[in-house]
Amino acid sequence: MMQWLKNLPEMDLMRSEKMTFVQLIIPVESAHRAVSYLGELGLLQFRDLNDDKSPFQRTFVNQVKRCAEMSRKLRFLKDQINKAGLLSSALPTLQSDVDLEALESQLADHEHELIEMNANSEKLQQTYNELLEFKMVLQKAGSFLISGKSYESAEGRELDENVYPSDYPESDSTSLLEQATQSGPSNSSGLRFISGIIPKSKVLFFERMLFRATRGNLLFNQAPADELIMDHVSSEMVEKTIFVVFFSGEQAKTKILKICEAFGANCYPVPEDLTKQTQITQEVSLRLSELETTLDVGIRHRNAALHSIGVHLSIWMNMVKREKAVFDTLNMLNFDVTKKCLVGEGWCPIFAKPQIQEALQRATFDSNSQIGIIFHVMDSVESPPTYFRTNTFTNAYQEIVDAYGVAKYQEANPAVYTVITFPFLFAVMFGDWGHGICLLLGALILIAREGKLSSQKLGSFMEMLFGGRYVLLLMSLFSIYCGLIYNEFFSVPYHIFGDSAYRCRDDSCSDAHTVGLIKYRDAYPFGVDPSWRGSRSELPFLNSLKMKMSILFGVAQMNLGIMLSYFNSIFFNNSLDIRYQFIPQMIFLNSLFGYLSLLIIIKWCTGSQADLYHVMIYMFLSPFDDLGENELFWGQRPLQIVLLLSALVAVPWMLFPKPFILRKLHAERFQGRTYGVLRSSEMDIDSEPGSARHHEEEFNFSEVFVHQMIHSIEFVLGSVSNTASYLRLWALSLAHSELSTVFYEKVLLLAWGYENILIRMVGLAVFAFATAFILLMMETLSAFLHALRLHWVEFQNKFYGGDGYKFKPFSFAALADDED
Amino acid sequence: MGFVLTTLIFAAIGIIASLCARICCNKGPSANLFHLTLVITATICCWLMWAIVYLAQMNPLIVPILSEGE
Repeated sequence: MMQWLKNLPEMDLMRSEKMTFVQLIIPVESAHRAVSYLGELGLLQFRDLNDDKSPFQRTFVNQVKRCAEMSRKLRFLKDQINKAGLLSSALPTLQSDVDLEALESQLADHEHELIEMNANSEKLQQTYNELLEFKMVLQKAGSFLISGKSYESAEGRELDENVYPSDYPESDSTSLLEQATQSGPSNSSGLRFISGIIPKSKVLFFERMLFRATRGNLLFNQAPADELIMDHVSSEMVEKTIFVVFFSGEQAKTKILKICEAFGANCYPVPEDLTKQTQITQEVSLRLSELETTLDVGIRHRNAALHSIGVHLSIWMNMVKREKAVFDTLNMLNFDVTKKCLVGEGWCPIFAKPQIQEALQRATFDSNSQIGIIFHVMDSVESPPTYFRTNTFTNAYQEIVDAYGVAKYQEANPAVYTVITFPFLFAVMFGDWGHGICLLLGALILIAREGKLSSQKLGSFMEMLFGGRYVLLLMSLFSIYCGLIYNEFFSVPYHIFGDSAYRCRDDSCSDAHTVGLIKYRDAYPFGVDPSWRGSRSELPFLNSLKMKMSILFGVAQMNLGIMLSYFNSIFFNNSLDIRYQFIPQMIFLNSLFGYLSLLIIIKWCTGSQADLYHVMIYMFLSPFDDLGENELFWGQRPLQIVLLLSALVAVPWMLFPKPFILRKLHAERFQGRTYGVLRSSEMDIDSEPGSARHHEEEFNFSEVFVHQMIHSIEFVLGSVSNTASYLRLWALSLAHSELSTVFYEKVLLLAWGYENILIRMVGLAVFAFATAFILLMMETLSAFLHALRLHWVEFQNKFYGGDGYKFKPFSFAALADDED
Repeated sequence: MGFVLTTLIFAAIGIIASLCARICCNKGPSANLFHLTLVITATICCWLMWAIVYLAQMNPLIVPILSEGE
């Protein structure tokens, strides 16, 4: 048997791939190409040999800077394209090797051109805005001036009559008053005006400020503009108001101009003459239309340029990303003594070695180098990274396991069993074949549209849902199965597998409501008998069934966990663990909870009325007492005493021997050795400074003992708490069934009782919404979470280490996922 | 239909499923072993579920008592 087990081939996902530590010696001329080819292959994880250097001390820092600069330019171009609202239509990737330096100069040109175009169009736009404002001011202010003019002319005539009441002889000396009134023929009543435009929000304050400044000696007329104008400061459309301020005096003018400037009001001179006004208005309109065409042409030109860039943009961005990654990786390598070669170290899977060698040979050939690249295996002290080769189906499960902790190198991978047990435990808590069919439809839709959805960018919730589509598929299939067993279709039972096993005692069914039915046939062949639904004794029966079922599943899964720890010990040749950990753990768990499971099964098979709580508790309290009516089988009392004793013996068995034996082994191994282990000269002395200390480490007995004690106590106490924890399978399935019943009976049946079609529709809608949101979404998440917890804690703490680190090879494919 | 008979039916279904898995995706010994493990685990889980519910109903201690208005 053991031979046969040993001769079985390695199972696919069970243990991580065998890794090896390698060293590369690359001549400088083929370094860049070699690293690019390795990036395409994606199977080598480089170790950073320049860990202690800052980013600016590294060799290729200039190239990295240039790449960063190029990607900045590319981002700027992408921004501009997005702002212009052009859709980026990418050409299918033509992998022409565009030279990086040519690309650099091209990008610089494009950026320069685009910035120029943007600046020009800004200026044009500003001029356009100003002209637009001028036109509006002309329109509105003109109407003020006309009305103002009528006042002026009336006043002017009055003044003239007053000033010149009589005929004066024409003399040179005209009085000062005359001169004052005669001066400035355009300002006929001494009134001057300033016209302009100001944002509507500031008009009130503006007016008040002017009023205060001129001490009330002004006339302020305003009118709102007809259209919205683009405010070039905030680049959005604002409402503006056109104003005309009538004032007198030079000082008032300077004050008003300063206030206009402070408030950001633009002043435009409006001629008083009506003909001149119309003339200027026409000129302005002409210039406006000219500018419009110019602007349009400019925008079209820019869009054409952006479009031609946009076609190549994604390819360029990809290229620059790759180059930056290559230079970052090159920065991890060291120059060797002769400064002609780069030395690199890293991890790679053993199966990938031929592929890597082939890639390196191609790089040597393609770069016309005379010297080949040296690639050889080295020893390493530290633990290798963990690498599982998953496909689309097993990837989701591996991620679920990795979320708790990445497996240590080559330890047993719980994902192998999680693929089936996780959806199964979900289904135990979710069991309803109607809801299962809904989940199945959802999963099938996601899988059918796999191709389309995987290339799209999804929201975070949809992304998780899409990533777990195969998990969802299995969950739904198992839910349908468990729903058939629980006999619940949206909480309604059906007689799919034949008649019920129960019937009334007599034909009148008189005591069906008091004493109940009787069982006249064999048990219902598949699942829960449909007679139970709706009866008064449904819950006591189902609770007992589901609780016992949970215990049985729990003990089974925990035993599986302990068996996996046995296989781990065999794989790592750790016979100490087998003898002093695996065996006492099995004995302890099974003599207590395995025995409980046995009692459950015997009670079911014989139909005995024994009280199992009583049996278990008194097994501990008074093991030697007579069992009386709780006796399930002959020889139960001696068996119980034996099991109790073995459990008691198992506890010190797992606690004490291991630390003492470890100490003895350590003493034997390092007896008399006070010098360090001889190391091969190839190994880099600097890279493993801790290795010497590692081997000669003092065996800290108290630490080992405390560790073992914690481990044992955790197991012993954990066996009780973990078994009880599995009762959540009962709790959640009860909750699901009860919720389902409530929605069915109190919503759907209630609404269907009425004859009114409207009430029926409303009832159906409420039932559908409640089912979809509460049962399908909330309960799914809840059962998912609890099944996950059962796996992460109760199953995995029996055997899983989970303190490894994931294999992260240098790969261009991984780059694309990262950045986006 | 009897406990033993249905158990044999489950076993037969399990064997047929593993044969189907071997026929449909035969990808080398390690992958085959993995698929076999999955099928066996699924069969055992399903059988366990059915067996527990069947055994619980074989000799029940209580019977359904119909509620009012049935």
